[in-house]
Amino acid sequence: MSQFSEYKDVIQDGDLALIWISRDNIKPVKIAAGETFNTRYGSFPHNDMIGKPFGSQIAVRTRGSNKFGFIHVLQPTPELWTLSLPHRTQIVYTPDSSYIMQRLQCSPHTRVIEAGTGSGSFSHAFARTAGYLFSYEFHEVRYEQARKEFEDHGLLRDGNVTITHRDVCQDGFTIKKGNKTTFFDAEQPLDQQDVARVDANVIFLDLPAPWDAIPHLNHVISQDSKVSLCCFSPCIEQVDKTLEALDKHGWTEVEMVEIQGKQYESRRQMVRNLDDALKRLRDVKERKQVGVERRKRMFNKLISDQEEPYEERPETPKTQYNPFGKGSRVKEGDANFHWKEVAKVESEIKSHTSYLTFASKIVNKIRDEDRAAKALVDAVENAKGSPLPNKKGVPT
Amino acid sequence: MDAITHATFNTHVLLRLPSNNLKICELKPDTDISLGKFGAFRTNDVVGFPFGTTFEIQYDQADDEKVSVSGSSNDNKNSKNKFKIPVGTLRVLGSRLTASNSGATLGLEEESTPQPELQSIGNSENNQHLINIGNSIQKLSTEEIEQLKLQTASSEEIINKMIEAHGSFHQKTVYSQEKYLKRKKQKFAKFFTLEYLSSSGLLQYLLDKGDVVRAMDMSEESLGMILNLANVKSNGTYLCVDETGGLLVYALLERMYGGEHSADAAGKVIVVHENEHANLDLLKFSNYPEDFIQKHVKTVSILDYFEPPALAEVQEAFTPLSEEQLKLMKSNKKGAYYRRLKWYNSQLDIIDWTSKLQYDGLIVASTLHLPTFVPRLGERVHGSRPVVCYSQFKETVLELSHALYRNLEYLAPTIMETRCRPYQTIRGRLHPLMTQRGGGGYLMWCHKVIPVNPDDVKAPTSIQSGSTGDSDAKKQRLD
Repeated sequence: MSQFSEYKDVIQDGDLALIWISRDNIKPVKIAAGETFNTRYGSFPHNDMIGKPFGSQIAVRTRGSNKFGFIHVLQPTPELWTLSLPHRTQIVYTPDSSYIMQRLQCSPHTRVIEAGTGSGSFSHAFARTAGYLFSYEFHEVRYEQARKEFEDHGLLRDGNVTITHRDVCQDGFTIKKGNKTTFFDAEQPLDQQDVARVDANVIFLDLPAPWDAIPHLNHVISQDSKVSLCCFSPCIEQVDKTLEALDKHGWTEVEMVEIQGKQYESRRQMVRNLDDALKRLRDVKERKQVGVERRKRMFNKLISDQEEPYEERPETPKTQYNPFGKGSRVKEGDANFHWKEVAKVESEIKSHTSYLTFASKIVNKIRDEDRAAKALVDAVENAKGSPLPNKKGVPT
Repeated sequence: MDAITHATFNTHVLLRLPSNNLKICELKPDTDISLGKFGAFRTNDVVGFPFGTTFEIQYDQADDEKVSVSGSSNDNKNSKNKFKIPVGTLRVLGSRLTASNSGATLGLEEESTPQPELQSIGNSENNQHLINIGNSIQKLSTEEIEQLKLQTASSEEIINKMIEAHGSFHQKTVYSQEKYLKRKKQKFAKFFTLEYLSSSGLLQYLLDKGDVVRAMDMSEESLGMILNLANVKSNGTYLCVDETGGLLVYALLERMYGGEHSADAAGKVIVVHENEHANLDLLKFSNYPEDFIQKHVKTVSILDYFEPPALAEVQEAFTPLSEEQLKLMKSNKKGAYYRRLKWYNSQLDIIDWTSKLQYDGLIVASTLHLPTFVPRLGERVHGSRPVVCYSQFKETVLELSHALYRNLEYLAPTIMETRCRPYQTIRGRLHPLMTQRGGGGYLMWCHKVIPVNPDDVKAPTSIQSGSTGDSDAKKQRLD
């Protein structure tokens, strides 16, 4: 099974792991006995990870300074992979991909077409959930990179993912023997087919010109059931042209939406009461008053020509009253102060990823008469027969 | 398989009405389903059609309509039994758009022709001369319209008459005319779309009927995000708290099994509930067989979960009999024996879930105090597996995230929000909708991890190789 599809308990030699250094620094690492993972926080031998459960914190102390440095070793999931993957192209992030999968009802029953593969971020999420994923990439280098990555991650071994090198806008989606594809790689001897059965019911088009690909879809989508589609385009002009093509080729229930995802940091803000602020200012003013009065006396003496107008500067003790820790470096959450929990939105939000244009199509809206007739017979029979006796006593 | 793509008897399906509202129906053989003012149809007429098909309910100017609607329409509403809504025949439509006829607007701008009704009337460049005088602009009275509804079956005729009687229809812009038509058609059209009962559909059904509280104000995008962030797949064992009455559990089942219920399906959802009995009421709409749900959805109260029975006590209270012993037992005692055995097995299950199982994910939608609840639930979550909590309010997940931040067993708690913005999707007139539902909820996402005790970590001894020394030097430089 793949590094993604199986729930792994223990970190083993040869596993793909995601090493979490910090929120924005997650590194994919192939675990290999004898190797070392180096960071600025210390060096972590892979041998320390092997045999420990996934999720383990691995810590070291640096020689000399004796500083505590640590990492966490996680099993990859599509969502963590999205945060760590090497970008070959702009990628589809989780707020978009999760919405698309939910809206298109992705499940083991789904057969997905994805074009193009790009950095393979969404492919991993589709591969986890869908019954089958047909991914297409027209850029040859990216195709090779993605194919290798899918292989390394065990996606191809799981048997529900195929990647094909293809410009779908030009050449459509049909996969034949002899094409540059992984489809026929694991062919069963019994399967003497020359053309792949695609039969997709979910389509995801992340292409610069989806309108050129839409006309080719008819040959590869389910012919007797509802097919749902999503086009992922950054520009509104692309949406417009897509709408034209969708309408022309019989796609209905067209709706375009936009997803806005935001993350918040949990932070603390010091609670600074007005009374405390007033008290502090009163204190400042009081102590200032001492100096003001001294200067006043000195001035009066000077005016009235008294000798020696200068008065010693009195020693004013530093105030003890500092309710907000002014002048000192207060760490957020310092137990000596009172704090309010607040949410801070990330400093840079993804204000626009792409427009998502959804549509659906049923190629043949034909009633399956046999099915309907049979269903009626079954239903009547079921209604007649009493439900099976419940085997309550059998331990499960 | 069929029941996933095609309408099948004895399953629950969604019907999307002209108003875009959803209705859940069970397709019992030989029965009629009434859609109120949108008409009624026979279940046998839709079975076998693929989901997504739109039907128009037709009445052949028939006498049966006149027969049943003898009183005024008010009477009709008040005494549904007396005046049953007549059952029409069905015609498959190209799409909902053909039904509401605004399909033309999707075409090329140049090619787009005003709808037939609009062509003959003419329209205005702008609404400069349009004066709003309210209802009196419509010369037809409500009574007259009701009368029309009785006389004719076609919504088009009614709408055409209303346009004729509309004092300033020609002064409206073509956009405004189209909106008018769409509105009226939503009111008088008799069509519906047959849909698969998806988790999103179930959610929308709840929201449509005003059950926002029950759905915990959750949006479709939040629901989808929960499933993805929790890495839900068909081979996982998940610990779940669901205060939505089963919506979340149904979404998990749909993601895990997609409506299929094969005997060799793996995966399990352990639902922890706060009352004596779990409320997964919405699962009654699901099309999974009862025994499949019992096999894959297990429920346990918080009391049993956090204070499970002791194995010794359970074993002391009951010992299962061997086959031979059972054969010798008198039949009148067997009933009592099996009841005890069931209790015994359920106790063993609970012990299993609370002391042996390690969970592949924790998914919580609860209004209990999260900072005290979630860490205790998280104890049995395996390292590296996700924890996802949903809340209607940001403040509650914020509080939780602070609590988990201090707990070294949870890695990087993050508060997330996702919002979908729908657009008016008409070529040349693309813009975000003017209004949409507010709310949608917030998520907290983190991963369960296994911390080390800092005291157990010793500095490397001086014998160690030079490579570590190098990186140490680098670290010190960076510091």
